[in-house]
Amino acid sequence: MNTELKNWLWRSLTLLILFSMGAGLWVATKKIDYTWRWNRVPQYFVYHNEDIKTVPFDGRVTTIDKIGETSKITILSENDELQSFIVDVGTERVVVDEDLFAGDSIGSTFSWRVGPLLHGLWVTLWLSAASSVIGLIIGLVTGLCRVSNNITLRQLSVFYIEIIRGTPLLVQIFIFYFFLGTVLDISRIVAGISALAIFAGAYVAEIIRAGIQSIPKGQMEAARSLGMNVPQAMVYIILPQAFKRTLPPLAGQFISLIKDSSLVSVIAITDLTKSGREVITSTFATFEIWFIVALLYLLLTSVLSQVIAWVERRLAVSD
Amino acid sequence: MIKTVDLKKTFVGRGQTVHAVDGVTAHIKEGEVVVIIGPSGSGKSTYLRCLNGLETLTSGHIHVDGVDLADRKTDLNKVRREVGMVFQQFNLFPHKTVLENLVLAQTVVRKRSQAEAEIKGRELLKKVGIPEKEKEYPIRLSGGQQQRVAIARALAMDPKVMLFDEPTSALDPEMVGEVLEVMKQLAREGMTMVVVTHEMGFAREVADRVLFMDFGKLVEEGTPEHFFNEPKEERAKLFLRQVL
Repeated sequence: MNTELKNWLWRSLTLLILFSMGAGLWVATKKIDYTWRWNRVPQYFVYHNEDIKTVPFDGRVTTIDKIGETSKITILSENDELQSFIVDVGTERVVVDEDLFAGDSIGSTFSWRVGPLLHGLWVTLWLSAASSVIGLIIGLVTGLCRVSNNITLRQLSVFYIEIIRGTPLLVQIFIFYFFLGTVLDISRIVAGISALAIFAGAYVAEIIRAGIQSIPKGQMEAARSLGMNVPQAMVYIILPQAFKRTLPPLAGQFISLIKDSSLVSVIAITDLTKSGREVITSTFATFEIWFIVALLYLLLTSVLSQVIAWVERRLAVSD
Repeated sequence: MIKTVDLKKTFVGRGQTVHAVDGVTAHIKEGEVVVIIGPSGSGKSTYLRCLNGLETLTSGHIHVDGVDLADRKTDLNKVRREVGMVFQQFNLFPHKTVLENLVLAQTVVRKRSQAEAEIKGRELLKKVGIPEKEKEYPIRLSGGQQQRVAIARALAMDPKVMLFDEPTSALDPEMVGEVLEVMKQLAREGMTMVVVTHEMGFAREVADRVLFMDFGKLVEEGTPEHFFNEPKEERAKLFLRQVL
């Protein structure tokens, strides 16, 4: 059998396995009598908001003019003041010469609003982006301290790394929020971002250290023998090479960070996970929302891994 | 140019003490080509690496152009830019093109402009015979070409002395010639050179003086004629019988 055909057979087998797993899940949910309500989900991404206009005073409608897609309703108040209200065409609830009392609705306007899921996605995105950048900086500095000749710098960095890697992130978030948040009077957002950044920093530091140590000693010697000092050799020679080698583990770390950011929902930051929980309390569409939330996380992480793969290809020119 | 006085370098590790360089006193004059020969483990590479401060000395003194490397106040970076070094493993910067390899230290250390450094870099690439490779990355070059780029990179800093640490040992045999040719040309131009090598032909032809080291000590020194034809020391005679 030729290899091309063989490969297609194996691919079909993969699809078959995935399909039967999906079918199994479907049958299982059928048995527990769960009503899927996917139609309830889209409104939590964006929704059409109706804003009802009311008259703030007693009066009488004088004219209703159509201007394009909107209607201009002009009302004469009891004090003989003319005031106009703009509503969408077709939503008018009054006619000319009708007497109105304060608080009567005369029509409404519609606008698109961002729903909780999209808002949560945005919060997760910038929360992870901010803590990634800060975590990278912390990790870079700590990683350099970790390989420095100074004993104090080395010991401090090891101390930091061991403490952070040895305790659960959830506990760290609680400590940041309840202890540091109270002592230093910082907001929940700042507490959340710092907890994530300091957590990521410890792992990034070890990745950076491994990257630096993987560069042959000869590179530093060549740079030094050309008269460069240590910082110059690091910036121009060692770190660019180390960065290239550490990209795959760094990518893994930042993908983890996006997922770990879901833990900040415990200190009431309305990220994607917390938004999901809030939507569930109002829709009871538990299964649908959690699947959607998972898909949104998958979207973020796969975009990130594509970006990193692209950078990796760019840097591969000197291989 | 370079004067070492009772130079000692001791490595301590795993309960062992190794006297890699054990009291070497030598004087390398300006314009002189000195070749250091010796069996492996004789401390010749360590001695060479001491000369530009890549190894810190345990005791003794090294004067490079009148500056004492053993003095704590000496700025080693300033000394190193005057002392070029070529390594056995080339140690080109793999993430930079050939020309960038030559330009980087000139701009960063010598503070030359990019244009000025590029002119100098191209000139040197022509000198070592590979001007057409300036845009290549080092990985695409043969060993001989890489080593010639490494020599050009060291020369770009306008060093007063060039140190060569077994420059042809990692090369395929057919590429040794092209690198030695570049070194011979440098010697003819009057560059002060200290060369650690196993190339006896090069030593015989180019060296003004040969130093023979064994067990960290300077055993014999003299002109190539003297060293290869009538060595005094038993250890040198034995070594020559083995390599020639």
